[in-house]
Amino acid sequence: MATVTLNQAQKTYPNGFKAIHGIDLKIEHGEFTVLVGPSGCGKSTLLRMIAGLEGISDGEIIIDDKVVNTVAPADRDIAMVFQNYALYPHMNNYDNMAYGLKNRGYSKAEIDAKVREAARILQLEDHLERKPRQLSGGQRQRVAMGRAIVRQPKVFLFDEPLSNLDAKLRVDMRLEIKNLQQRLGITSVYVTHDQVEAMTLADRLIVMNGGVAEQIGTPIDIYEKPASQFVAGFIGSPAMNFLKGKVSDDKKHVTVGDGVMLDLDHVVEAGRDVTVGIRPEHLELLKDGEGQINAGVRMVESLGAETLAYLDFGANADNVTLRLQGTHKFEKGEKLSLSVPASKIHLFDIESGQRI
Amino acid sequence: MKRVQFEHSAVPYLFIAPQILIISIFFLWPAAQALYQSFLLEDAFGMSSQFVWFRNFEDVLTSSSWTRSAIFTVVFSVLVSVLSIAISLFLAVRADEVIRGAKSYKTLLMWGYAIAPPVAGLLGIMMFNPLMGDLYKAFNSFGFEFNHIENANDAAFIVILIAVWKQVSVNFIFFLSGLQGIPKSVQEAATLDCKSPERRFWTITFPLLAPTTFFLLVINLTYAFFETFGIIDVSTKGAPGGSTATLVYKVYVDGFLGADMGGSAAQSVLLMIMVSVLTVFQFRFIERKVHY
Repeated sequence: MATVTLNQAQKTYPNGFKAIHGIDLKIEHGEFTVLVGPSGCGKSTLLRMIAGLEGISDGEIIIDDKVVNTVAPADRDIAMVFQNYALYPHMNNYDNMAYGLKNRGYSKAEIDAKVREAARILQLEDHLERKPRQLSGGQRQRVAMGRAIVRQPKVFLFDEPLSNLDAKLRVDMRLEIKNLQQRLGITSVYVTHDQVEAMTLADRLIVMNGGVAEQIGTPIDIYEKPASQFVAGFIGSPAMNFLKGKVSDDKKHVTVGDGVMLDLDHVVEAGRDVTVGIRPEHLELLKDGEGQINAGVRMVESLGAETLAYLDFGANADNVTLRLQGTHKFEKGEKLSLSVPASKIHLFDIESGQRI
Repeated sequence: MKRVQFEHSAVPYLFIAPQILIISIFFLWPAAQALYQSFLLEDAFGMSSQFVWFRNFEDVLTSSSWTRSAIFTVVFSVLVSVLSIAISLFLAVRADEVIRGAKSYKTLLMWGYAIAPPVAGLLGIMMFNPLMGDLYKAFNSFGFEFNHIENANDAAFIVILIAVWKQVSVNFIFFLSGLQGIPKSVQEAATLDCKSPERRFWTITFPLLAPTTFFLLVINLTYAFFETFGIIDVSTKGAPGGSTATLVYKVYVDGFLGADMGGSAAQSVLLMIMVSVLTVFQFRFIERKVHY
């Protein structure tokens, strides 16, 4: 168990590219933190900085109470699970797990006990004598996890560990990782671009964009109160609808499209241009034409449990996505009438994208 | 299980015909010729010949010069292979770590590959020329009494030096591509598991390069056996007293210069047998251990 603290951690590459712009973060004992963001946002770089695989240009990385900026990766007492497993192909699975222990001078008996225990937890007992290439993708990822847990490190680092697995296995392994982490109570940092993984695994979520932490919070906080338009668009699937709007003179309404007035639940300065965000699942379909928002159906996707309708809204035919539970039948071009509760309307500054 | 039986046709045989033809003309026929000739005793002008069974082989195997040449060949081949593999591995590992200017640096290290063996031999022997060779002067000014014209070990040193130098660049290319074929994440996983870079090299990198090393061992032994002919012919010509003549070079000297066709043919048959045994040994016993 350990804490990980970042103080203004920065990374600048020799060519002048600034990958990480100064991140402050404290990860508590046993906390599962997920770094999420689009590719190139610096999330993997940040993870690799904690691991020591990338140097840190400025600021501090502290594990427990020790600044580890210049400590060798092997001495940081961390373990990492890589996207492509990174198993040693010439060793059998037993030796793959035992390698780190051997190099740290554990006795044969201790190593054997630890490896067998890890193999038992991960259901790999029958595969220890085999080479990694004789295993399936999911089993290989288990061996990689085994290699991480045998050492009982202070911190687990995961670098998109499930990206190479097929969809079903990914769900299984996701649950398994969560289970394992809770059982072992080891502080974990997990990098992913998959927001479902991010939402389900995280105790705390860090949404990154362009080397900056856009928002840090619990998954639900981030979903309900995204700090910026970027976060709002990134978290949630299908993505949040954004419309151009203007706050009305009475400060309690916002006008979108062809003068459609939506209620606000808080007061905003009158006449301000804003971006209005509405999640597809927060639009309510009304039976008769009483709703504020009227839009024509462009396309429908039926997923069984839910239906996604892509709508054209207003004179500019802005794209609006509607997400409904269950199955619905819509004709192409059919006019739908929708409403949205005031509490579900997000406003963002049109320039900075910050939440208003 | 039903075996799939394709319809017989001449097409597949036509496809392999050119290869078979080449092997027949350039390998099987000369080999058969050598085998036949090794049983004959011929006069120096090739006017008459006599079938003598294994007398040529007896002569060869009992002659001290052949035994000496065989021993030299083994020592020479092992030293050339081991040294050129070790040096090029070292260079490749270093070059792999270079990031800035890597391309030009690597190209420079590969240049030696473009030099033909006789040219390498010529360059080498000029550097050891007693009158103007810089290395000759340098060695002697350090107090070594270096004299390859008379001292067999010194002559062997020169031949090995040239042969290794010539081969390092070839090995370097293979090792470098082998190193670049090791996934970066495997190396990184190893940095988390093992602090010592030396230990990491011997436990992770080197085993992962083992197939490359094995391949190069085969290539280098073949090189030392056969392709160094050009180097020896240009540099020492087997001197002093045949002490730097490899078996191949001796075949040439005895057959073409000494006009002992039967003896030379017998030597080449023995060489063929040795190389076959070596190849079988390499593939049966070593290859199995290096592939992961």
